[in-house]
Amino acid sequence: MSKELFDAMRQSIIDGDPELAAELAQKAVELGIDPIEVLNQGFVPGVSYVGEQFGLGEMFLPELVVAGEAMKAAVAVLEPEFTRRGTERQILGRVVIGTIEGDIHEIGKSLVATMLSASGFQVYDMGVDVPIMTFIEKAREVKADIIGISALLTTTMVRQKDVIEALEDNGMRGQVKVMVGGAPVTQSWAKEIGADGYSEDAVGAVVIAKTMMGAA
Amino acid sequence: MDALQPDEIEAIHTATLRILSEIGVILEQPEARTLLTAAGATISAQNRVLIPPQLVEWALAQCPPTLSTRGRGGTTVTLGDGSLRWHNLGGARDVFDPATTQIRAATVQDVCTAAQILDALENCTCVTPFFTPQDVPGELMGLAMYRHTLPHTTKPVYGPGVQTARETQYFVRMAEVLGNPSEVTMMAISPVSPLNFPAHLVEAMMEAARSGLPFGALPCPTAGATAPLTISGAIAQQNAEVLASIVLVQLVKPGLPVLYCGRLAMMEPRTGVSVWGGVELGLASAGTVAMGHRYRLPVNVYGFSTNSHTLDLQNGFERAINALIPALAGADELSGIGEMDAGVASSFAQMVIDNELAASIHRTLRGFSTDAEALAVEVIASAMNTTRNFLGQKHTRNHLKSGEILLTRLAERGTWGEWEKRGRGSLATRAQAEADRLIAEHHVPPLEPAQESALDEIMSAAHKELVR
Repeated sequence: MSKELFDAMRQSIIDGDPELAAELAQKAVELGIDPIEVLNQGFVPGVSYVGEQFGLGEMFLPELVVAGEAMKAAVAVLEPEFTRRGTERQILGRVVIGTIEGDIHEIGKSLVATMLSASGFQVYDMGVDVPIMTFIEKAREVKADIIGISALLTTTMVRQKDVIEALEDNGMRGQVKVMVGGAPVTQSWAKEIGADGYSEDAVGAVVIAKTMMGAA
Repeated sequence: MDALQPDEIEAIHTATLRILSEIGVILEQPEARTLLTAAGATISAQNRVLIPPQLVEWALAQCPPTLSTRGRGGTTVTLGDGSLRWHNLGGARDVFDPATTQIRAATVQDVCTAAQILDALENCTCVTPFFTPQDVPGELMGLAMYRHTLPHTTKPVYGPGVQTARETQYFVRMAEVLGNPSEVTMMAISPVSPLNFPAHLVEAMMEAARSGLPFGALPCPTAGATAPLTISGAIAQQNAEVLASIVLVQLVKPGLPVLYCGRLAMMEPRTGVSVWGGVELGLASAGTVAMGHRYRLPVNVYGFSTNSHTLDLQNGFERAINALIPALAGADELSGIGEMDAGVASSFAQMVIDNELAASIHRTLRGFSTDAEALAVEVIASAMNTTRNFLGQKHTRNHLKSGEILLTRLAERGTWGEWEKRGRGSLATRAQAEADRLIAEHHVPPLEPAQESALDEIMSAAHKELVR
């Protein structure tokens, strides 16, 4: 019974079907299956499969995104069950992410958020045009492990540096890793401003974030 | 070349009117909202602005069919007069050096040098401030690009990428140093796809319109990411973004000259970033030209466009195809002189190469004549009766002079032996040498000292106000 259910869960992620994923998660809750088992044996193998196929060039970003959405739907159903049992979903780390102040470009940042969330991170997406201190305050509030800062414009990219300086000013630089991204951002820019990580795309960002958490 | 048949153009137009009147645009700036609703727009349940077809038609009827800008050298460039014009890429971050094949961050000096070279290239009709100089604070970058372009070209200079009303005001003040801003420059603003008009951009658009600056509506959707993956769907959405921009600026300033721009590119399905080199870009640009011409507006789209990082074969074939398709479709102006690396980089050699490539595209557009003079039956008779070749015919000399054969400067046309004797140089090395020569020899008349100091004053005021 469980085997069949787990297979269906895996497939719901691969097919990118949030409704079905939520329905299957609900069924597992009703059957009293441990949510840790549900995640690890049902849904996560789906995410892993999609990731592998993407790496092989057999699947593409849109398929990754819908798989991420399906995973999110499943986790949303399982969250209360974790709370009820007094256990916690194993997360790889907490990430505060947003597009920097003055910049309202959203898609790259949202992709990274979706990919991180699907890969087991707890993601706090602060949206676009995020003031520097909002990054800092949110990171303090949720005890973030990583701050992710996106910028599409060369003119706003320069403010990524201000977030790092603000972390230093607030004595938080030692506890929080910083990753930067966006079209004009390069490895050398990341290095120049003292960021801990940089990736050219959303899938690479997950690898970087995992490395930062020692989970790669 | 017709990229779209008349019924296809109408289908896209109808889809666009539905997007505007049934889905609407995100636009919350209060003053603009009031203007739009007073003119017949309504607010949807999702708080988007719905623009009815009559309002779109009204706005289009206000737009003149041409748009002109004048350089400080006195030349006026008119878009929409049936000829093809070119400008360079604007906003590149890096400079590529063909000799070392390395890139470096662009500086103010590169902005100046680019303008000087573009001034010398006969096929570059208008100059857009080229690089985003990284030795300038982010808040001043756009303004500094314009300021440092002006002294190094006498051609019309387009506005830089401007994000706010305050920046627009400083930009207009600098244009005033050259003359009437509505005559000496134009400004393009990009709504954020899909269908989003953030307040600061709306304020910049309204400020530009109030100043009478010719306006380029310049959406940059990525099909599959910020627009539908299908080219026609993405063109319809882009068209809606252009038309919504036009409605707004015509409400502010009826009769404002408008340039219909489009920067539609496809998504790279593995990373989500825009593909600049794929042939779909050329197709989308041709479709964009057809839509703009349906409204009798001059159209500006991507021309030279590649993802290649160096001056290689990929670079050559991608930029040639992507410029040729919209050129054949009748584009009024193509962008991209100097573009490399999906718009992130450029090299001075690339600018020089593109000047030559543009000449080839003009030659293509000119086609060939079939009148009696060109058919040359009498000339064939004359040759057959005498030398039995055409070298000595006056007809040959006449038509050589009138340009039947495009004479190239950089493309290699010698034999293997000649090429070896000249040191086996590549197109890139010849282009770099030509760029170096232009930097050393091309003289641009300077601005008046009073103009220089006026520009400095404006920049220093902008620095005081905008830099934190």
